[in-house]
Amino acid sequence: MSLKSTLFILLLASAGGTLQASEIPTPVGLEYCTVCHGSQLKGNANIGAPRLGGLSKWYIERQLSNFKKGVRGAHSSDVTGSEMQSMVRHLTPGDISAIATWISKTESPTPKLTVHGDIEAGKNLYQGCAACHGADASGNKAIGAPALNGINDWYLLTQINHFRSGIRGTEPSDVYGQQMKAAVSTVQSDPDAANLAAYISQLN
Amino acid sequence: MLNITRRQFLSYVGAAGGSSALLKTSLALGLMPDDNYAGPVKIKPAANGEQPTALILGAGVAGLATALELEKAGIHCTILEASFRPGGRNLTVRNGDKIDEMGNPQICQFDKQDNLFFNCGPARIPGHHRRILHYCRALNVPLQIKANSSKMAYFHDDNSLGGKPKRIIEYHTDVRGLMSELLWKSAENNQYDQLLSEDDVAKLMKFSQTYGDLTENGKYIGSERAGSTTDRMLEFPKPHAPIELKAMLDSQFWYGGLMGAELYDWCEPLMEPVGGMDGVIKGFLRNLKTQPVLNAQVKKIYNRDNGVEVTYEQGGQLHTVQADYCFNNIPAYFMAGIDNNFSATYQSGLDSVKRGHLFKIAYQMSERFWERDGIYGGISYTTDPIGQLWYPSHDIHAQKGILLGAYTWDPKVGAMFEKMTPAERLTAGALYAEKIHPGYSKYIENGISIPWARMNHQMGCGMRMSPEDFDQYYSLLQKPEGRHFMIGDQISHHSGWQEGALASSEQALQQFNRLVSTNTKSGEASHVA
Repeated sequence: MSLKSTLFILLLASAGGTLQASEIPTPVGLEYCTVCHGSQLKGNANIGAPRLGGLSKWYIERQLSNFKKGVRGAHSSDVTGSEMQSMVRHLTPGDISAIATWISKTESPTPKLTVHGDIEAGKNLYQGCAACHGADASGNKAIGAPALNGINDWYLLTQINHFRSGIRGTEPSDVYGQQMKAAVSTVQSDPDAANLAAYISQLN
Repeated sequence: MLNITRRQFLSYVGAAGGSSALLKTSLALGLMPDDNYAGPVKIKPAANGEQPTALILGAGVAGLATALELEKAGIHCTILEASFRPGGRNLTVRNGDKIDEMGNPQICQFDKQDNLFFNCGPARIPGHHRRILHYCRALNVPLQIKANSSKMAYFHDDNSLGGKPKRIIEYHTDVRGLMSELLWKSAENNQYDQLLSEDDVAKLMKFSQTYGDLTENGKYIGSERAGSTTDRMLEFPKPHAPIELKAMLDSQFWYGGLMGAELYDWCEPLMEPVGGMDGVIKGFLRNLKTQPVLNAQVKKIYNRDNGVEVTYEQGGQLHTVQADYCFNNIPAYFMAGIDNNFSATYQSGLDSVKRGHLFKIAYQMSERFWERDGIYGGISYTTDPIGQLWYPSHDIHAQKGILLGAYTWDPKVGAMFEKMTPAERLTAGALYAEKIHPGYSKYIENGISIPWARMNHQMGCGMRMSPEDFDQYYSLLQKPEGRHFMIGDQISHHSGWQEGALASSEQALQQFNRLVSTNTKSGEASHVA
């Protein structure tokens, strides 16, 4: 029997080997997440939804709680933030914890580089960031600094610019965001921001 | 016409009316083709006698029509649909129906009555949309006239005439009158001496007088064509005072609004399926051998040497299916989030299709108060964010009615409504409409809102590409990549119309026919990795 005339359905659960360890099915009820963030939460720049794989559970929980409380996403110019807000509005702390656990287990390909900048210039700028986020951008849970490697470069750039313009980090109860807002004062131009994002993204 | 041949008849017409009269009469007699539409693509049997198989991704109009035509040729189709319902953006809601907005699921609270429904997506069909009309006929979907314009409806602009709404017929009549008066004046002042003979200038003045309802000496002083301030059955009509020329020129929105029923896709009469636009979807489903697999979200699409392999997720389980060809109706902007092995250029083309922010509100009104105001169907237009009010032209004089209370495709306005909760949207929509219909809010019993850019699995309506991207990628997306075809209104010049979706399906099937008839072995590698 040839493939061309046969349409067959393969239940991957029973087929074993074809399913990579990282390919865990989406928990029922969380299919909404993958509509924007993509298959295995690999990210989709067209929707402005970043790759989530590689983020720490504690950081995801903090961000989801921030969206829920309006600490993040409430700024009138934060379009995608407001889209996220409506997705977490009804979540309980238990939901948030379960989602964060699932996200921290997903794996997806390392994102492609899309932001072009001066890596050397970005490296110099990053010296100020490394104290918290680590020289290899792997983050530091003790001081609440998330890992930056594995995040889409376009998303890093967007967030750096959001901190610069006050779309993010101006909410009084956003302790970490306010620290970031102060920290990005070293990023003084759009090329600076692109150079920094380009440098961080190639640290993987 | 006794004993006269058709050719003789045509020569008489040609002599009487010139060649354009001849052309029109020839068309009427069926001697020349009006357009090339001859029904859907007939799928040819495969060259080697072995019928291929097909995967259809998305049970929207393009996907369902593609499946129907393939099934007619005996081709087995598997239709995967991510949503809990088939139809895509062809969505009609009634009592109890779920509106699957991301983060804001709503349940339609309309009373349980056949005439209380709302077409959230496509809602009107012009007479020249041959493809969708073909399917309405072939699938036994009864149609009725939908009044798309009512001259008794209103124009409203806060910046014109002190924000007072004006009946469209009054504005139309005044604009014609004022423009005709200018034409008369120019003619009187010998502006056309170089262009026209004295006789023709006289005709032009006569024309402007008739067209604009001018006085004997070329003045526009209002016209009873726009009604009367008196009871015109019992008294002499007394025209409304006309608007000033300066006010007309300042009313930029209104003279834009003049085009509301003038453009080709809105030219009257338009039609709608009796009982809701989803009659089209139900028609397809009645005639398909294989029903769509629902709640099946596509995760991967791979062109393989001998077909296309698709992995989807349903109820927490991953499934992989394979077929010889794939017709993909998924919004192109989702494809970056779906694993695939498309070429970088093809993926860039898919990425260039951007989300549209079409937004609608519908209210259930306790009374059809607009009918008491002389409005039966049609549309009022406003510069306020709600954009348009649509009055139903079906079920005239019923007790209740579903009124479209907002319709905009302005991305900024759409984004404003998207940020609101459904309840806030209904409140805001009512406040704006009060300016056109004082007391509007007291008739509202319930309502729904449809922000297409927030609807699960669609995330947009009225997709668009920039002109540069269109030049670069449109023709690329019209062609298959390997055995994978993109379809849907997104692959047409008519995004947001079912006709565009059907045209894309037709185009893909024509190419499919060529591929299948030229492939001596349909399982052969045909894609370029």
